Amino acid sequence: MGDNNEKSRILSIQNLIIKFKLRGQVLTAIRDISLDLYKGESLAIVGESGSGKSVLVKSIMGLLDKNGFIDQGKILYKDYDLSQFSTEKDWLKIRGKEIAMVTQDPMTSLNPLKTVGKQIEECVNLHQGLKGKEAYERTLKLLRDVGIHDVEKRYKQYPHEFSGGMRQRIVIAIAVACNPKILICDEPTTALDVTIQAQILQLLKNLQEMYGLTTIYITHDLGVVAKVADRIAVMYAGDIIEVGKTHEVFFDGKHPYTWALLSSLPQLGAKGEELYSIKGTPPNLFNEIKGDAFAPRNPYALNIDFVERPPFFKVTETHYAKTWLLHSDAPKVEPPQSLQAFFEEGRRYAYEQ
Amino acid sequence: MWYIGKRLLQSVFTLFIIITIVFSLLRLMPEEGYLGAAAEKMTPEQQEIILTNLGLRDPLLVQLGNFYMDLFKGDLGTSVTYRTDVPVTTIISEKIMYSLFFGLGAVALSLIIGVPLGILMAHMKGRWLDRLGTGYIVFVVAVPAAVYYIFIQMYVTDIFNLPLLFDEYNKMSWILPLTSMALAPTASYAMWMRRYMVDELNKDYIKLARAKGVKERTLMFRHVMRNAFIPMAQYLPATILFTITGSIYIESLYSIPGMGGLLVDAIQRQDNSVVQGLVLIFSSLGIIGLFLGDLAMALVDPRIKLGKGGSTR
Ligand SMILES: Nc1ncnc2c1ncn2[C@@H]1O[C@H](COP(=O)(O)OP(=O)(O)O)[C@@H](O)[C@H]1O
Ligand SMILES: [Mg+2]
Repeated sequence: MGDNNEKSRILSIQNLIIKFKLRGQVLTAIRDISLDLYKGESLAIVGESGSGKSVLVKSIMGLLDKNGFIDQGKILYKDYDLSQFSTEKDWLKIRGKEIAMVTQDPMTSLNPLKTVGKQIEECVNLHQGLKGKEAYERTLKLLRDVGIHDVEKRYKQYPHEFSGGMRQRIVIAIAVACNPKILICDEPTTALDVTIQAQILQLLKNLQEMYGLTTIYITHDLGVVAKVADRIAVMYAGDIIEVGKTHEVFFDGKHPYTWALLSSLPQLGAKGEELYSIKGTPPNLFNEIKGDAFAPRNPYALNIDFVERPPFFKVTETHYAKTWLLHSDAPKVEPPQSLQAFFEEGRRYAYEQ
Repeated sequence: MWYIGKRLLQSVFTLFIIITIVFSLLRLMPEEGYLGAAAEKMTPEQQEIILTNLGLRDPLLVQLGNFYMDLFKGDLGTSVTYRTDVPVTTIISEKIMYSLFFGLGAVALSLIIGVPLGILMAHMKGRWLDRLGTGYIVFVVAVPAAVYYIFIQMYVTDIFNLPLLFDEYNKMSWILPLTSMALAPTASYAMWMRRYMVDELNKDYIKLARAKGVKERTLMFRHVMRNAFIPMAQYLPATILFTITGSIYIESLYSIPGMGGLLVDAIQRQDNSVVQGLVLIFSSLGIIGLFLGDLAMALVDPRIKLGKGGSTR
């Protein structure tokens, strides 16, 4: 996994800039992002809401809202540059067939007037070329695969007859029914109960192995990530500011924003202590952002952070972070006290494995 | 089935109450309404005899009982002044055919044009067809019907050389009343259809369907259209049934001998039994229409459980 040679690269985003036109103004939602996805891996994209996670993945499927457009950059998949796609015909080559998506809210993601069986079967027809009895059998198998019992009966039921968690399983079945190479899960558990979250995560993990999927896993909850991801990309204000293997980002994070995210994990706070929260607000995307976007909220900010945008600094072969703190001329800055113990422990644990 | 049974029972009960109220109210009306044109020439004694023969001196409950007995036999009494001694049912059935023909024709026409127009408008939201359609809707809603009816009579008849007045045996003369009548409902079907379509198109399940690689056109036909039509299904039966009442305006404009003016005429001539018969029919239509609407909804929308009672929407 995470093997960095060219051959296993399945999707490559290069220097991507995405803008939206809104009431005569232009907002830059994705600010020059480059990111590779490797075959068979599970990549998590983490960041607070509004950081551009959904916009980034929507652009991969041509599902940007009408007022959004790719201003610059490439999205390479197989022999295609998806950023050049414009017609529906182009996108139909990708949607479902190559890349499928699980959306956030299972309560509204299903057509209320079609049986769940039919909604899954639609994909089976479209992308697996099966018809009639065969398609029906395959649909039943998919229902079983996502952990639904009594499938013949369930096939004929409507979405309102399922609970939230069950509906999310249906949505997942729909995505898997397309037989995609890449599965994008955009906050698949955010709308669900905590107890059900864990089950859905486990299910996604199982399906990934069963169907040999490459997954992109979006969340604003770092706590969820450790369970499912091989690699983590941290997003802030439309940029990826740190990327690395899960344990690298988790236990050796370099960007102060990553530190801040980790510090706000409830698991980290001592009992009775107030939860850590990041001060200030994210920058206004309508304005041009100078330097490091996080600088105004960053207690460790250097002068240069306000002037020049940091490039990616290499930490290891697989771990990169966009912070001037990694520059050889930068003063030595340690992560916050509360994190250091966590890092220590985590690293020890990671090496034991 | 439970749900339908319950709704049916409710409807019958409502109908019963309404008929009783209508009946009782009409008993409070001046009694000349039962005496006909000769009332002024009769002595009070003669009047009493007629009213007693009609059963109007019986206790109210007995009257009501008799009324229901006749009703079940399909007897609505006879006209007093409008067309003396002709059964009310005969009068109505002669006229109803005209109103029904034009009414149903107009509903069909406006559905055939209005619904696809609304769908196309939603599909091409913001483009020229949508603008044109919106212009049409605004025009029809904002300008009083009387004004554009008159324009039709003044200009359209000349331009297309169509007959101005209705003539049963000349099919060309059916065109103008039909189109005039369909103008307003076409606009409202188009408006609602567009609105429901746009609503549906913005829903998450459409986004998911798009993400799974469903073609935009398939999406329109298989997902959006059907879902958008459901809210309309509820009102359709009532709309269709109410065409029976005819359009006062259109019928008088084109001299169509339909139901439109009947109620007004009957009231003006104080013909109590005709008024009573009409009010009864109209209110029943309303209730049956609502019931059929709920039934239609229950049939097309799986979220309404037929098994249990409960609210419909
Ligand atoms: N259709 C749109 N028009 C204007 N701005 C948009 C649109 N969609 C998203 N944005 C903006 O892009 C930014 C990123 O949004 P999004 O990707 O949804 O964030 P998240 O990380 O929570 O998924 C936000 O600031 C949002 O306001
Ligand atoms: Mg999002």
